[in-house]
Amino acid sequence: MKAVILAANRSTRLSPFIETRCKPMIRIAGQYILENTICFLKEAGIHDIVLVLNHKQDMIRQYFGSGQTLGVNLEYVVQDELKGIGHALSLCRSSLEKKPFLLVYGDVMTDYNPFLSILQTYSETDREVALIALPESSKEFGNVYLDHEMKISRLVEKPQANQANYVFAGMFVLFPKIFELLEENDHNIARCYEQMIASRGLQACLWEKGWIDMIHPWHILDANKMLMSSWQTAEIDSTVKLLGHVHLEGAVRIGPGVTIESGTVLKGPCYIGANSYVGNNSLIRKFSAIGPNSIVGYGSELKNCVLFGNNDVGRLSFVGDSVLGENVKSGSGLTTVNHTVDYSRITCSSNSDSVETGLVKLGAFVGDSVSIGARHTLGPGSIVESGKVIADCITL
Amino acid sequence: MCGISGIVHSENIGRNLFNSIRNLEYRGYDSCGMAMLNEGELDLRKNIGGIDEVNALENLDKMQGSIGIAHTRWATHGGVTKENSHPHLSYKQEFVIVHNGIISNYQELRERLISQDVVFESLTDTEVFVNLLDESYAELKDLERAFLAALQQIEGSYSIVMLSTHDPEHLYCVKKESPLLLGLGEGCNYVGSDLNAFLEYTRQAIVLDDGEYVVLGRDDYQIRNVQTGEIVEKAVMHIDWDVETSKKGGYSHYMLKEIFDEPQTVRQALKIPREQISGLAEMFTKASRAYLMGVGTTFYVANISQYFFSNLADRYYPALSSDEFSVVTVESGDLVLALSQSGETYDTKTALGYAKTSGAQTAAVVNVMGSAISMMVDQVIMQGSGPEICVVSTKAALAQTFIMLRVALELGLMREFLSQDVYKKHQQDLELFPEMIQQILNEQSGFVRNIARSTSHVEHWLFLGCGVYYPVAMESALKMKEVTYQHAEGMPAGFLKHGTLSMVEPALHSLFFVPLPEQKVLHDRTVIAMEQVKTRGGTVIGIMFQGDERALAVCDQAVQLPQMSPLCAPLAQMIMAQMFSYYAALDLGRNIDKPRNLAKSVTVG
Repeated sequence: MKAVILAANRSTRLSPFIETRCKPMIRIAGQYILENTICFLKEAGIHDIVLVLNHKQDMIRQYFGSGQTLGVNLEYVVQDELKGIGHALSLCRSSLEKKPFLLVYGDVMTDYNPFLSILQTYSETDREVALIALPESSKEFGNVYLDHEMKISRLVEKPQANQANYVFAGMFVLFPKIFELLEENDHNIARCYEQMIASRGLQACLWEKGWIDMIHPWHILDANKMLMSSWQTAEIDSTVKLLGHVHLEGAVRIGPGVTIESGTVLKGPCYIGANSYVGNNSLIRKFSAIGPNSIVGYGSELKNCVLFGNNDVGRLSFVGDSVLGENVKSGSGLTTVNHTVDYSRITCSSNSDSVETGLVKLGAFVGDSVSIGARHTLGPGSIVESGKVIADCITL
Repeated sequence: MCGISGIVHSENIGRNLFNSIRNLEYRGYDSCGMAMLNEGELDLRKNIGGIDEVNALENLDKMQGSIGIAHTRWATHGGVTKENSHPHLSYKQEFVIVHNGIISNYQELRERLISQDVVFESLTDTEVFVNLLDESYAELKDLERAFLAALQQIEGSYSIVMLSTHDPEHLYCVKKESPLLLGLGEGCNYVGSDLNAFLEYTRQAIVLDDGEYVVLGRDDYQIRNVQTGEIVEKAVMHIDWDVETSKKGGYSHYMLKEIFDEPQTVRQALKIPREQISGLAEMFTKASRAYLMGVGTTFYVANISQYFFSNLADRYYPALSSDEFSVVTVESGDLVLALSQSGETYDTKTALGYAKTSGAQTAAVVNVMGSAISMMVDQVIMQGSGPEICVVSTKAALAQTFIMLRVALELGLMREFLSQDVYKKHQQDLELFPEMIQQILNEQSGFVRNIARSTSHVEHWLFLGCGVYYPVAMESALKMKEVTYQHAEGMPAGFLKHGTLSMVEPALHSLFFVPLPEQKVLHDRTVIAMEQVKTRGGTVIGIMFQGDERALAVCDQAVQLPQMSPLCAPLAQMIMAQMFSYYAALDLGRNIDKPRNLAKSVTVG
C-alpha cells in the first residue's frame, strides 16, 4: 500500500513559526513531525510515500531527499495553488495505481503508531477506514456519529456548543473511487466523505492514545509533552561531558557532543540536542526540549518549553511554557512570564489577531532569528515575529 | 468459572480450537491449555497467563490434529500454576480431560488413589477424575462404560469433556450443574461452555441438561441419560446472534464497544413480546409477597426496579442481595425474581434453590441462553442482549433495567394504577429511547471524556442521587470501583448531612445524578445536597439535563444531556456514568476489559 502525506498547507494560525517553515517541519525533541510520521509508516510496512508540497517545500526536499536515509521512497507532488485537501489529493491520482491507499494529514502528531491500528481495521472490515480521536475540544473538527457496528453514520462540521464527540483524526484508508467522487464534488473532500458515509459506509478506527493537530502555537508544547510522556528510558550519548556534579533524574535524553557544567540539575523527561552547552547551576525541568547547537547560560531555569535549535539563552534567564524558534538569541536575564497575577485564562495576541487559549499557564512564542537584548520580560501569551531585534533594556 | 471447548473435525483444527478458547477467555483467564490427538499421539500444551501469553510460549495455534479439547481457567481449587492448569492427563497418559465446576468429594478419592500408587501432578479436583478413568478402563476395557463408571464415583458440579487415545474419533462429554452446549457443523461438531466457543463456526446448537452425557463424533452424536442410559432427543436451536456483535471491531476495548451497542440492546429489549412481560407482571399480582434479587450490578438493577414498581405500580417489593437472601423467610405463594446476566451466578442460584425448596414461585431475567438459572425458574425472560465480553457489565445491565421498567409499567396498568393513556404515553417514550441513547453517545462523549480526564487522579468519590437516581448512583459507583480501582461510594443525596458530610474537602469529588427540573421534589433535594457539598469546599460534578441553570451554577463541571422523559432519564444517566468510568480507567491505564481480581460471572461461593 502507498501513502499520501499532505504537507502543502500554510496555516497562519501557527504564527510566528509558519512564516519560515511548513507545519510538518516543526521540530520537537530533535525530530521533525514529518520524520515521526514517516517512521511510523515505515514501521507499518509502508515504504512508498507521496508527499504533496507547496509552502516552504525546499526545506522538506533538502532534509528528506529521496527518502533513502530513512529507508523509504519519497515522491514529491507540488500543489501550486492551495485549493484544499480534495485538490491536493486529486493531484496524486496518477501515482496511486488504482489501489487502496493511506491518506495522512501532515500536521497531526501521535505518540504511538496509529497506522498499525488503521491497517488492522481495514484488513478486518475490508471497508474504507477513518481514524477517529477524541480531542479536548471538538469544535475545530469534523465530528462523527457512530452506529453500533462502528461505522460512521453522520459527519457534523463545527458542531454546536453542546455537542462534543469523536473527530476525524486526519488518517484514512481510501479506495481509488475517491477520485471520481472528488471530480463529481468539485474537489470538496468533506462532501466526498459525506457521500461515502451515505453510500458504501466508512468504518471508524478508534485512536485512544495521544493525538494532536497543530493549529495554534501552544499545540507545539502539547505535542512535546505528549511525545516525552511516552519515553520510558534515559538515553545519554557516550560523548556527553558532565563536568563536576550534575544531577540527572527520570527520562533524560542528551545528544552527542553536549557539555553540561557542574551544579546543573536535569529533571526528565527532557531533551538536550547535539553539541549544546548548559552552564553552571542551571535547572532544566520536565518537558524542556533544547534543540541542537544551543547554549543555556549560567543559572537559568527552563520548564515545559521547546527550543528549535541554534538558540542562545543568556545567563540568569527563565523560559517556561514557551517556544523559541531557530536562531533565537537572548541576552542575560530573559524572563518569560507564564501566568497572570490572578491566574486568569491567557489570551494569545500578535499584531493581527488575539485568541483565547483557555490556558492559565502560558509563556511566549518567539519566531526564528529574533534577537532579544538583556533584561527583557515577555508577557504571558506574547508573540514575537521572526527576525525582530529588541535592543537591550538598559537603565542608565 | 472456566471455559471449556472441544472440536471433532476431519481437518486440522489447531487454529479453530485456539480461537474457540480465545472467545471464551472472559470466563477465566489465569491459565489455559489445549490437548490434541495427532496420529495417535497426545499433544498436551498448557501454561499460566492469558490466552495470547500462553500462545506466545506454547504455540497453541500451531498444534496439529483433527480432534482436541481446550480450557481457559479461573482457579478454584489449587493455585495458579502450570501443573494445576487444564487439560489434565491421567497417570497412564491415556486420558486427557477439561473440566468446569467443582468435584466436592475429591479429597477422599484422591487419598484412595494415592494409596494405590497413583502419582498426582497437581492439586486440582480435576486430576482425580482423569485418574479414575484410567482405573475404570483398566477394569472394563470399554470407553463409554469406563466414563460412566468414573462418573458414578464423583459428586459436585461439573461439565467435562474427555479425549482418549483409545478412541481417536470421539469426545465424551457430560454436564451436571455447569453449562455445556453442543454446536453442530457440517462434517464437524463442537462442544463448549457457551455459544461463544463455536459461534464463529456454526449457528446450530443444543443445550445439554443436567445428568446428560454425549459421545460426540464428527458426523454423529448421541445424547444419553447418565443414570438410565436412555437416548435423549433434544431440540436443535438456531442462533441468530450476529457474529459481528461478539467481535471487537474497531474499538480498542469491549467495554466501549458494548456501551455503543446499547441502542441495539434496548431495541432488542423492546422486541420482547408483550405477553412475556405481562406474564411476569401477572406473577407479581398473584404473589402474596415478592422479592427482587441480584448480586453486584444486578442487585443495583433490582434496587432501581424497586423504585420503578413503587412509582409506576404503587407496589413495594424489597430488593435483596442474593448472598444475603437467607434473611427472609420464603413460603409457598411468594415470588422471587432473580436477575443474572450469565445465569450462572452462584449466590443467585443458591438463593433460588432455597426459594424453590420453600415452595415459592421463581422467575428470572437472564442474558445467557441455556444457563443454569434460565433452566431452574418457573418463568424466564431472555433479554437477548448478545454476548457481553467485558467483565464489567454495561449493555446487559442497561437492558435488564429497561426490561424491569417494562414489567413495572405492565403491572401498573394491570393494577389500574396507570390509565391506558398514561401507559401509552410511557410506551411511546420507551420506543424513542434507543434513538435518544444514540444521540447522547454521539454528542456527549467528548464532554464526559474531558471531565474523566481532568479527574481521573481523584481517589475518593461520592456518587449521589435522590429517588430512583439513588440506586443509579450506587450502580455507577460500583462501575467506577470495578474498572478504575478508585474508591467510589454511592448513597442517597439526602443521607449526606447525616454523617458523610464530615468527609467533604476539596480533594473529595462528588458526582451528582441530577433529576430533570420538572421532577421538582427530587430536583430540589438534589440541588440542596449539591450546595451543601459546594459550601464546604467540595468539588461538585453533575450529570444533568440541559436548561437546568440552577444545578449548573453549583457545578464545577457538568455533562448536560438533552431533555427527555422522566422514565428514561435515570437510564440515560446510567449510560453517561458508564462512559465516565470507562474514560477514567482509560486515562489511568487500567486493564479495562478484565479488571484485576474479577471474572465475568462468579460461579463460586
